Amino acid sequence: MLPDMKKIVSQFVDVYLREFRLIGKDMGLILFFVFLPLAYPVIYSLIYNPEVVRDVPLVIVDHDRSATSREMARMLDATQEVWVIGYATDLNEARDAMARQDAFAILEIPAGFERRVGREEQAEAVMFCDMTLLLRYRGFLVAATNVMTTLGSEITMQRIDEIAPLATTIAQGDPMPISNISMGNIENGFDSFIMPGIVILILQQAIILAIGMAGGAKRERPELIGYNPVNTAPSYFITMMAQMTCYITILIVPIIFLIHYIPLIFAFPMAGSNLQIFAFIIPLVLASCGVGFMIQGVVRERESIFVIWVVTSVIFLFLSGLTWPRYAMGPVWTLVSDLIPATWGVEGFIRMNTNGATISQVAPCYTALWIQAAVYLALGYVVQRWVVRPAERRALIRRSQYLS
Amino acid sequence: MSGNNRNIYGFWAIAKRSLLQIVRRPIYWVAFFLLPLFCFIMLSTLMEEGLPVQVPAAIVDKDGTELSRNISQTLAGMQMVDIQYTPDSFTEARHLMQEGKIFGYFLIPENYEAQLLAGRAPEITFYTNMTYYVPASLLFKTFKATALYTKAGLAVNVIGSAGVTSDVTSMLQPVNITTRGIGNPELNYAIYLCNSFAPCVLQLMILLVTCFSLGQEIKYHTSVHLLNMAGGSIYRAIAAKMLPQTIIWWIIALFLESWLFRWQAYPVNGSWLWLTISELMFVLACQGMAIFFFGILPNLRLSLSVSALLGILSFSIAAFSFPAQSMYPAIGIFSWLMPIRYNFLIYGNIALNGLPLYYSRIWFVMYIVYMLLPLTVLWRIRREMAQPVYAP
Repeated sequence: MLPDMKKIVSQFVDVYLREFRLIGKDMGLILFFVFLPLAYPVIYSLIYNPEVVRDVPLVIVDHDRSATSREMARMLDATQEVWVIGYATDLNEARDAMARQDAFAILEIPAGFERRVGREEQAEAVMFCDMTLLLRYRGFLVAATNVMTTLGSEITMQRIDEIAPLATTIAQGDPMPISNISMGNIENGFDSFIMPGIVILILQQAIILAIGMAGGAKRERPELIGYNPVNTAPSYFITMMAQMTCYITILIVPIIFLIHYIPLIFAFPMAGSNLQIFAFIIPLVLASCGVGFMIQGVVRERESIFVIWVVTSVIFLFLSGLTWPRYAMGPVWTLVSDLIPATWGVEGFIRMNTNGATISQVAPCYTALWIQAAVYLALGYVVQRWVVRPAERRALIRRSQYLS
Repeated sequence: MSGNNRNIYGFWAIAKRSLLQIVRRPIYWVAFFLLPLFCFIMLSTLMEEGLPVQVPAAIVDKDGTELSRNISQTLAGMQMVDIQYTPDSFTEARHLMQEGKIFGYFLIPENYEAQLLAGRAPEITFYTNMTYYVPASLLFKTFKATALYTKAGLAVNVIGSAGVTSDVTSMLQPVNITTRGIGNPELNYAIYLCNSFAPCVLQLMILLVTCFSLGQEIKYHTSVHLLNMAGGSIYRAIAAKMLPQTIIWWIIALFLESWLFRWQAYPVNGSWLWLTISELMFVLACQGMAIFFFGILPNLRLSLSVSALLGILSFSIAAFSFPAQSMYPAIGIFSWLMPIRYNFLIYGNIALNGLPLYYSRIWFVMYIVYMLLPLTVLWRIRREMAQPVYAP
């Protein structure tokens, strides 16, 4: 038993060190092992870092020109979301401003607006919003609702004061206050919403890309394999484990940076326990490694991994439920998204990191990730044994024939 | 080169060779047809519903009176929410949220009705999980509306009991601002997302395929032959090599246009002609950009890396979701870097907002700039093609 163990350990160490040398010599591999997980999340976070959309320009067409209509314009300008850039004489001028993208919405106040308020009829104004970006529209909607309720309650209070004895109680303040609390992402920021999910996607894709490229490099230049696979090949299982350990050794710093320091630097919500989050990430890393080993089966040149990597990034992003919630997906897409480690990773990580869930509360995600880790590593083994290794062998034989 | 052997030399011979390369290699089939079409169809079928209605939510009714039950019933009747749980406490509801079973909850405090009738102003609070933007925003809207309706209903009772019989609606909401979404009144999420993301997938694929096909020539040293076929003219070599690809991309772009605006019936309020011209010019602009990248880094791996990295960044930096005006200025300027930005602006102007060409003129000029970009680097590509060195 003991000599066997010795042999296994020495094989493991051999492959581990060989893989290190192989990656160390290859600038391209180092770039993608390190640059991608370090630089990409920073770039993404910087793009969205202003978090909220403030002071979106709006133009007013005021056919009423009364005290009330001006009051409304002032209140709108005072909201966080809207910036009143000025008055247009008529709708055509306002539309021109919108067409030139000087403004993204028009507030049209009809003639007789104040008179209707005075007559105790409902006074209506219309806000036309540009719909190319929904985030802008959302801002306009929130601002309009807030101005409408504030201005409305001011007017109501004045009126009730004049007619009813109840006025004192009502006028003292809102008799029935309503408040809203945003959970997790308390500032409703866009960066804090999207980045925790993106970080997990980057983690998965970086691992797949790195392993895929390492495989492609070996298929292309078999002399890099570093051993003679025709007669003295170490066991498939040990090779795979040693390679995986080597990749994880290199990626451990980028992973910690991604999971812990990116949220710290950009002040994203960090409500979870670090230890539990890392425990949660382990099966995600293993499952991604498994997918990487599977991908090696189809990567013949190191370049082709890019095509796969880039397009799957887009697909995985949509299937993760980050932009379009999973409960609204059709059964087919739900099933497909269930197969992707990042789907569970994103969901579990967001809940732990942003909503402060414990690992037991994300048990379904955690279990799914361990199952995926087991299945994908097993499939990875199959691909390594029956696809990658024979291909490496053939490539090496071809190379030796070519050289002699 | 000899002009008499037309089958081997000249523009059409190169174009034919390029077409055969595409037909013979499966990776081109995947990159030209399979992946873009898969992405287009995935995007539009994923968001078929347009808006994710029936957001899972919960109501915590700690009052248990007629009034609070009424509020629960009103809320459950709203289109946007699906009240799946009725937990007994705040903590329980929060746990449901952490477990991802609900996206928000509505809390009616203890003794709500009694406090309200006593005039002690009890507070209704609703909680939305803003870690998921779309469902949480929809939930926020519904919760707020329900709370306002409840308030209005109560106020009608109070005012009525005080003996006031005049028009009550104007009393409750004297001012109303109606918001109208131009071109997308039902807030269809698919219209918003597919029209920006699907062309961005197209841009990504054009960048990758163009760099890949040029890089292959240099990697496998076939570029010398290519230059010979073109009689040493890099213009002829590149133009002829690109022609079959351009035609295939045009077909894909036109398919995309008809897929989005005909079959999915997303709004086109402006000129179909200019929308089509925009799609066709967009393909040429992307190819121009790709050749430019390749000219700067005439190496298969490097140019593919740059195309992949920038192509994927375009989804964020081109400002489809977060407005460029709201980004840091130092970052916002990069939104103008890639052709997709102009495609998106032209789509917004012509299709969604139905504006005349006048307002998009500059974006069309930008397409032409991208098409001319390769002219600045062709000399480098020629040098590299004449003496190919493959550096891994």
